[in-house]
Amino acid sequence: MSLNKIEAARGWRVRSTQDLAAGLFMIALAGLALLLSSDLPTGTLRQIGPGMLPKAFAWICAGLGAMLAFNSLRYNGEKLAGWSWRGVIFVLGAAVVFGLTIRGFEIGPLKVPQLGMLVSGPLVVIISGLAAEDVKIKEIVIFAIAMTIGCALMFKYALGLPIPLAPWLLGI
Amino acid sequence: MSEMLAHLSLGFGVALTLKNIALCFVGCLVGTLIGVLPGVGPVATIAMLLPITFGLDPVGALIMLAGIYYGAQYGGSTTAILVNIPGEATAVVTTLDGHQMAKQGRAGVALGTAAIGSFVAGCVATVIIAALGAPLTKLALLFGPAEYFSLMVMGLCFAVVLARGSILKAFCMIMLGLLLSTVGTDLETGQERMTFGFPPLSDGVDFAVLAMGVFGFAEVLRNLETPEARDVVKSKIGRLLPDWNDIKQSAAPCLRGTFIGGILGILPGNGAVLGPFASYTIEKKLAKDPSRFGKGAIEGVAGPESANNAGAQTAFIPLLTLGIPPNAVMALMVGAMTIHGIIPGPQVMTKNPDLFWGMIASMWIGNLMLLIINLPLVGVWVKLLQVPYRLMFPAILIFCSIGIYSVNNQPVDVAFTALFGLFGYLLIKLGFEPAPMLLGFVLGKLMEEKLRQALIISRGSFMTFLERPISAGLLLVAVIILVIALLPSMSKKRDEVFTE
Repeated sequence: MSLNKIEAARGWRVRSTQDLAAGLFMIALAGLALLLSSDLPTGTLRQIGPGMLPKAFAWICAGLGAMLAFNSLRYNGEKLAGWSWRGVIFVLGAAVVFGLTIRGFEIGPLKVPQLGMLVSGPLVVIISGLAAEDVKIKEIVIFAIAMTIGCALMFKYALGLPIPLAPWLLGI
Repeated sequence: MSEMLAHLSLGFGVALTLKNIALCFVGCLVGTLIGVLPGVGPVATIAMLLPITFGLDPVGALIMLAGIYYGAQYGGSTTAILVNIPGEATAVVTTLDGHQMAKQGRAGVALGTAAIGSFVAGCVATVIIAALGAPLTKLALLFGPAEYFSLMVMGLCFAVVLARGSILKAFCMIMLGLLLSTVGTDLETGQERMTFGFPPLSDGVDFAVLAMGVFGFAEVLRNLETPEARDVVKSKIGRLLPDWNDIKQSAAPCLRGTFIGGILGILPGNGAVLGPFASYTIEKKLAKDPSRFGKGAIEGVAGPESANNAGAQTAFIPLLTLGIPPNAVMALMVGAMTIHGIIPGPQVMTKNPDLFWGMIASMWIGNLMLLIINLPLVGVWVKLLQVPYRLMFPAILIFCSIGIYSVNNQPVDVAFTALFGLFGYLLIKLGFEPAPMLLGFVLGKLMEEKLRQALIISRGSFMTFLERPISAGLLLVAVIILVIALLPSMSKKRDEVFTE
């Protein structure tokens, strides 16, 4: 945290890109919250309006963000590390695919029928599995089938949750 | 005293029904199973397994969730000893000596000591909860909105001070959690707040969606990036039961650990985290030959493990008596209780005594079960540790996806969770530790409600928080700990404690 004299004498510069980015991120979020809550009445202390706390919290967030950004110029800290897009795309993409296919959806001309868990389940496992660098296709396919059967038995039958299995094939 | 016994017998009556014993058993087993997997801590485990309790009645659901909680906690120490990976913050200390013992071929003894120490701590903690539950609940009934508000402020201050990493960043996370909690329809005026005019948001951000996104998905993304070096112990596990010498060496540390952990666990704001660290430091100070620590000293396993378990259990006290969760795991419990239609707080004990005392009694039964399941099943857990992460995380994903979908039967929720996963990943990249955010999020709504009530009663005067003695005292404590933590000499010490 602390700097020695030589380092301190070199004046202010960005000493932690991570903290600077974190500070700016907090300020941006606070800005968004302030924008969204701008038309909510603040009210008075005696009768607090719906806008008072969101605005107050947002201002505190902005203040903390400013402090973080300011500190990043004074103290040494971590550098901003790179993103792993592979993980983001496959892992989060898999979850989105599950959400879209489990009961089907319609966005404009795009129509996906209700596929149910027997299709969505393996899709999640296989798509997300691709995120690992040491993925083995045969292994993940077998694992996907086994996991889906296991989950179907557990969630649908043992726990009795109303989750569609394969309405287009089995009618349930 | 007789009142306490009557309560406990009511509790055991509830907990000892065949169904509840079975639920407790399943909870402990599943919790340990998932907790053993490296990279899946108690928060993620409970978030993931929340849906499997949906079909149960509230008492059964909470008994099972509590079982999952201490199962996961216990599983975390197994991983710490055998693989040198702490499942979560409190197991860090166990890796120091536990893993060394395992390397010396005494893995079995380390696991056995941890299990027995946890059991002893669990028994004591259960009695403490039973003894303190009723008086604290009576105290809580004296609390007005102002006191509640100040208590939550104090809890959040503790959470900031005790969080890992930078204090400023922990503060940011709490405030972000509070800000997120204001999204949705305002309860008093019915006005929509910060919803982008998007209907699914008018009920606010769903708790399960936030928790699973930030602790399920984002954790997977974090783990994928850092391929862990798994240092699974190759040598034999060895005998499990400690011999007479081991018992003599570990009995006193175990009792001291229980005491320290139990007291720290009651503190609002994640005091339980401190228990193992404090216990380890004390054992090292008291030892005749401190140089043995870090090289496989059995006291270094017995003390912190007992402290860990005692703290994990007494952390239920603020939740059950005041309705205020002290850490992220208890925040999840609040979420679970709300899903089952129970509002945590002092009224739980009077309105649902069977739930309150049943849960407490089941904690003792759960601890006994952990002892019984864990020791013979160690071999299974070791096998489980060899499951590669490339298969583990797709399994986590399908579980989370089905789970989130089942909360409201809303496919949109799964996509929302992915969005929060991205958000959580961004937070991790920016060096934030997301656990305090969940706490802020859960306390936010309650804090707003109490703040409004307090100000209506005081006719808009903020002085009410300082004029009422209990409230002023709580705020004073909050200020004192913040000041102490920000003192330069203390912040250096704090860094040492968390990096040790």
